[in-house]
Amino acid sequence: MNRPGGSAKTRDLAEWLLAFEAAPESPSNPNTPATIHVCEKLRQHLSTLVGAAGFRSLFLRALTLAKREAPISNLVQVKEDGSLEGFNGEATQTGAVLIANLLGLLVTFIGETLTLRLLHEVWQDLPDSDISSKGKELT
Amino acid sequence: MNEHKTVKINRLPSGVPGFDEILGGGLPEFSFNIIAGAPGCGKTTLAHQFLFANATPERPALYFTVLGEPALKMLRYQQQYTFFDATRLNNGVHFVNLSQVLVERGLQGVLEEISKQVEAADASIVVVDSFRTVLRTEQHDNREMAVQTFVQKLALFLTSSEATTFLIGEYSESELQDNPVFTVADGLFWLYQQVERNSVVRKLQIMKLRGQMSVPGMHTFRITDAGLQAFSRTLGLSGKKKRAPAKKRLSTGIVALDEMMGGGIPEGDSLLIAGPSGTGKSLMATQFIAAGIRVGEPGIVAVFEERPEEYAGRATTFGLDLQTPLDQGSLEVIYLRPLDLSVDEMMQEILDAVDRTGAKRLVIDSLAGFELALAPGFRIDFRESLYRMIFALTGLGITILSTLEMVESFTELLFSSYSISFLTDDIIRMRYVEIEGQLRKIMMIVKMRGAAHSKDIREYEITSDGVVVGERLTHYANLISGLPRRLKSSSTNETPGHSKTTT
Repeated sequence: MNRPGGSAKTRDLAEWLLAFEAAPESPSNPNTPATIHVCEKLRQHLSTLVGAAGFRSLFLRALTLAKREAPISNLVQVKEDGSLEGFNGEATQTGAVLIANLLGLLVTFIGETLTLRLLHEVWQDLPDSDISSKGKELT
Repeated sequence: MNEHKTVKINRLPSGVPGFDEILGGGLPEFSFNIIAGAPGCGKTTLAHQFLFANATPERPALYFTVLGEPALKMLRYQQQYTFFDATRLNNGVHFVNLSQVLVERGLQGVLEEISKQVEAADASIVVVDSFRTVLRTEQHDNREMAVQTFVQKLALFLTSSEATTFLIGEYSESELQDNPVFTVADGLFWLYQQVERNSVVRKLQIMKLRGQMSVPGMHTFRITDAGLQAFSRTLGLSGKKKRAPAKKRLSTGIVALDEMMGGGIPEGDSLLIAGPSGTGKSLMATQFIAAGIRVGEPGIVAVFEERPEEYAGRATTFGLDLQTPLDQGSLEVIYLRPLDLSVDEMMQEILDAVDRTGAKRLVIDSLAGFELALAPGFRIDFRESLYRMIFALTGLGITILSTLEMVESFTELLFSSYSISFLTDDIIRMRYVEIEGQLRKIMMIVKMRGAAHSKDIREYEITSDGVVVGERLTHYANLISGLPRRLKSSSTNETPGHSKTTT
């Protein structure tokens, strides 16, 4: 199956989000992994739309898919409220895989336009991109 | 004494074609409404159409989802409709999930959260989907007072907030009695999905609408990729002024027949051509349409038994060019054969075509095909529906020619197997007769309402020029029985004298 979560563009998008949160000028706590920041922002924004339980089930699925692609410790779990737990010593690349899968699931269910629209509401600086095809690189 | 000035209630567009007319002009602003019905009957889609038709970034719409269809899936499916505008998401149209609030904090929590969100957004439209699941959490504990109080408070708050509200619920009609939700509601819209033999028919009813006159009764609707489209029982003509047609005569395209009719078909009449298979009914209908095109009268042909391209192709074999007016837009051939059609939908198709072409002439070929295209449930009301349709269209000054296939009887002359002859102003009957070892054709004008017409029984032939009407058969008796008897005084073997056609 050609899953959007596996597309290079979705991965680029996830990496852009991680880079944005890890940047020195980012207001996010530098002591917390960028993956946590991205996931937390997504959780807060998407929970309004799909509910906490809805977000959690989506995130759980993304974690399951990510574990097939990257070495993720069994200690990494999704809590009842949908927040990520135990993601401390993982590599940034691992975080990118997890987030790319979450974005991929969103694209699968609600399509690229709505997914990007939701992301833009959280990260206004997010460049316009085409998730489902091999478009230009995110800068 | 001061003159009493009634408050003006603004009417909002429903976003559903045809529904505003049923509502009596649109949905009353600030009304508190229920959309009820069984699963899959289009409740959510109706609410979405209203939402996208009215919400603005300044006065947005809030769509609260509760324990029903997951919001993610709802967005997945609703975006397939053409009315769904992705750019409006969180920019005029906001979706908020209240499932957890309901589970953790109950009705009071839901009320508080809705109040908070509506105030913060200054929402003009509020939808709660599914409202039924909100109430169900309390109803099973026999906490009816809590439910009643909740509904009352919600209605008060939302109306005071100047919001137009839709509560969506999977209700059955047996729940109508003593239900506080229905008592409080200003509008109650019930959607139905009925399976009739193998056809699915969708209907809606406005059971209650405060503040304005809606069209009572059941109205059919269809769900397409554009969402719901409703068809009013009044056939979309309640607001249109009836035009009294001048009694101009319209040529049938057959000179001799025009003469028999005293100059042609009176404008605005409904003419029925009845006869058995192969007697040239469709050809006469085509000649009628072609004659109109020649004098600048656009036409519409509703066919049920052949495709539009076949229709134009067949006309060509009789020297009638229908392709040019088809290309130019002065002629439309409507082909409908879905087998679950309603008369109201057919009417809407015709009215849309009338608007596009400015049609003066309409052919329905044939009534039997039309009836067959209807869902079984609508066939029961065929006669009544046909009456409404003919009355409405002729009221607009459109002249209608319908064909009707009859089973030939050689012992009696039937005018119509549908008993619809009273619906039409004029009737032409065509039939076979056996004369001297040949199967020949005769036609007669049975009826012309309020107009003199020929009493002749004329023989006719179908030639490459179309229907060619011959002379009156004066040497035979019992022609209408189909088995005529030669009169003793006659010795000549009559052959039809061909009259000129206008083709």
